[in-house]
Amino acid sequence: MSAVGEAERRRAPNPVRAHLEAIAAALSRALKPPMTLMYPDVVEELPEGYRGVIAYRYERCVGCGLCARICPARAIKMYKVPGDKRMRPGYDMTRCIFCGFCVDVCPVNALEHTKIHDKAYYELDSMVLDPVEWAEFSRRLIEEQSARSRSPNLVRAVFDEEVGLRYERLRRS
Amino acid sequence: MAIDAGSPAIRARQIGVEEGLRVVELFIGPQHPASGHMRLVVYLDGDVVVKVDPDIGWVHRTMEKLAETREYVKTIPIFERMTIIDSCNITLALVQAYEALLGVEPPPRARYLRTILCELNRIASHLYGLGIGGIFLNHSTMYMWAFGDREVFLTLAEMLTGARLTHTYVVPGGVRRDLPQGFTDAFAKAKRYMLRRLKEYDKIFLRNPVVRSRLEGVGVLERAKAKSLGVVGPNLRASGVRYDARMLGYAAYGELEFEPVVGEYGDSLERIWVRLKEIETSLDLIEQALRQLPEGPVMAERYLKMLPPALRKLVESTGRVKLPAAYVNLRPPPGEALSRAEAGRGEIVYYVVSDGTDKPYRVRVVSPSFRNAVLFMVLPVGHRFMDLPAIYASLDYFPPEADR
Ligand code: SF4
Ligand code: SF4
Repeated sequence: MSAVGEAERRRAPNPVRAHLEAIAAALSRALKPPMTLMYPDVVEELPEGYRGVIAYRYERCVGCGLCARICPARAIKMYKVPGDKRMRPGYDMTRCIFCGFCVDVCPVNALEHTKIHDKAYYELDSMVLDPVEWAEFSRRLIEEQSARSRSPNLVRAVFDEEVGLRYERLRRS
Repeated sequence: MAIDAGSPAIRARQIGVEEGLRVVELFIGPQHPASGHMRLVVYLDGDVVVKVDPDIGWVHRTMEKLAETREYVKTIPIFERMTIIDSCNITLALVQAYEALLGVEPPPRARYLRTILCELNRIASHLYGLGIGGIFLNHSTMYMWAFGDREVFLTLAEMLTGARLTHTYVVPGGVRRDLPQGFTDAFAKAKRYMLRRLKEYDKIFLRNPVVRSRLEGVGVLERAKAKSLGVVGPNLRASGVRYDARMLGYAAYGELEFEPVVGEYGDSLERIWVRLKEIETSLDLIEQALRQLPEGPVMAERYLKMLPPALRKLVESTGRVKLPAAYVNLRPPPGEALSRAEAGRGEIVYYVVSDGTDKPYRVRVVSPSFRNAVLFMVLPVGHRFMDLPAIYASLDYFPPEADR
C-alpha cells in the first residue's frame, strides 16, 4: 500500500536521492498552510457534546445526591442550603476531571456540560462553589458560552485531505 | 569543531579518569528525559555503554491500591491516567474484566464503537511515539509533523467522546455515546490524508539516510530473546513474532479482517517501521468497522431498562447514554476475572477479584511499558552512547504506564 513496502525498505536507498527526496518532502509541506489553531486570538467552535465545565440548574435539581456519589474525583459534594429542606450539590472546579459521569447520572438533567474549559482565577478558593454560587456561576457560564459562539473570531476545525485540519473562519471580520 | 573541555560530559569523563575509574556513571533523568519521568543510570567505558540500569517508579500513583477504595465505575478514570494518550485501549481490558464479573454483555454496536475508538487511540499513540522518537534523533520536523497529524485523530476522538484524551468512553455494559453525525465523512478524509502523509514520512524519516544511519542495525533484539524476555507489542512483532492480543477477537476484532504487522530484523528501524505500518492497519480496521457497524443500542439492555421512560427516550434521541442510579455502586458477585487487550505499546493484562461489595477487592494490572522496560538493560549494551537515544526512540516507552 502506501508506506514503504517490504522489499523497498530492505534496499538501502540511494543516499543522494534519498536526501533530495527528504528535502523536497519538507519543502512541499512548507508551501501548504499549517494546521495551527491561533489560540487565543481565535475561538474554536467545539463539537456538539464537548465535555467542558459543568453547569448546574438549581431549579431542576431534586437533590438526589447521585452526582456526588458517582463523581470519581470527589469534585461534587452535597451541601446544606439555608431555607432548603434538601441537600444540594456544590462543585469544586479544581478537582473536576470533566469525565461527565455526573451529567450522565443526573435523573432530571439538572447538570450539563458547557463547551468552556479554559478559565483562569486569581484564587484557588474562588473555584470552589457551593450550590447557590454554582447555580449563579452556571448562568454566567452559559451566557459566556453563547457570547463565544457569536464571536467574530469563531473558527471551526474542518477535516481536509490535503492539510489534515483546517481552521475555517465562520464569519468575515 | 573544537571540543569544549569545560562541557559537562567531558568534565564527567575527566573526573572518572582522575579518580582512576574506567567506567563512568551517567544519570539521565529523572526530570522528564523523554516521554515521562524516569531515570536511566548508564555506565560508560569511554563512549561505549557497559550497562544500563532503568530506575523506574517516579510516576507511581498507587493506582491498584486506589482502585480498592473506589466503586467500580470510578476506577475507570483512574486507570485511564496510566496511559493518557491511549486511554481507550488501556481501560478496555479493565471494563471487559468488570463485565465478566457482572455477567453483562455489551451490545454489538458498542463493541464496534469500542474498536473504532481503540484504533483511533492507537494511531494517535503511535504518532506520539514517532514524534518523540524524532526529537530524540534531533529530527524536529518529524516531531512537529507527527504531533500535528496526531491532532487530526484527537479531533476525531473528540467528536466521538467529547474529550480529546480522557475519553472515559468504555463503561461496563457498553459505551457512553453513539457515533455522531458526520463522523464517517470526517474519518474518510482523515484516512486519505494520513495515507498521503505516511508516504511523506517515508521520505523524510524512514528513508532519510541520516535517520537510517542512526537506527539501522542498532539495538537488535533477536526473536528468541524477545520471547524469553516477555517483551510485548510492536517491539515484539518487530523481532518476527506473530503475536497481537487483538487476535483474541475481543470487541469487534473477531469480526473484522485483521492481520498483525510482523517485522523481521528486530532493530530500531524495524520497530519504528512496524508502528508506521500499524497506523495503516488501524485506518483499515476503522474503515471496516464503520462499514459493518450494526444498528441497535450502545448500552446493555440491563442498564437501559432501569431508566425512567423519559430518560430512555432522551438516550434514543440524543445518542448519549444516561446512567441508572444503580450504576453508582455496581456489585458483581464474588469471583475473579482476567482480561487482556492490545494497547498501543503491547498487551495489557488485568486481573480483578471481587468480594461481592461495591469496590474491587483487588485489581492487578501488568502494563506493556512495564514489560518492555527490561529492554533498556539489554539493547544498549555494547553500543555507543548516542545510540541510547535512538534505542529509546524505537521502544516507545511510556513511564507513567510502567509505573502505574
Ligand atoms: S465531570 Fe466528573 S469529575 Fe467533574 S464533577 Fe462531574 S463526575 Fe465529578
Ligand atoms: S444528580 Fe442531579 S438532581 Fe441529583 S443532586 Fe445531582 S444535580 Fe441534583
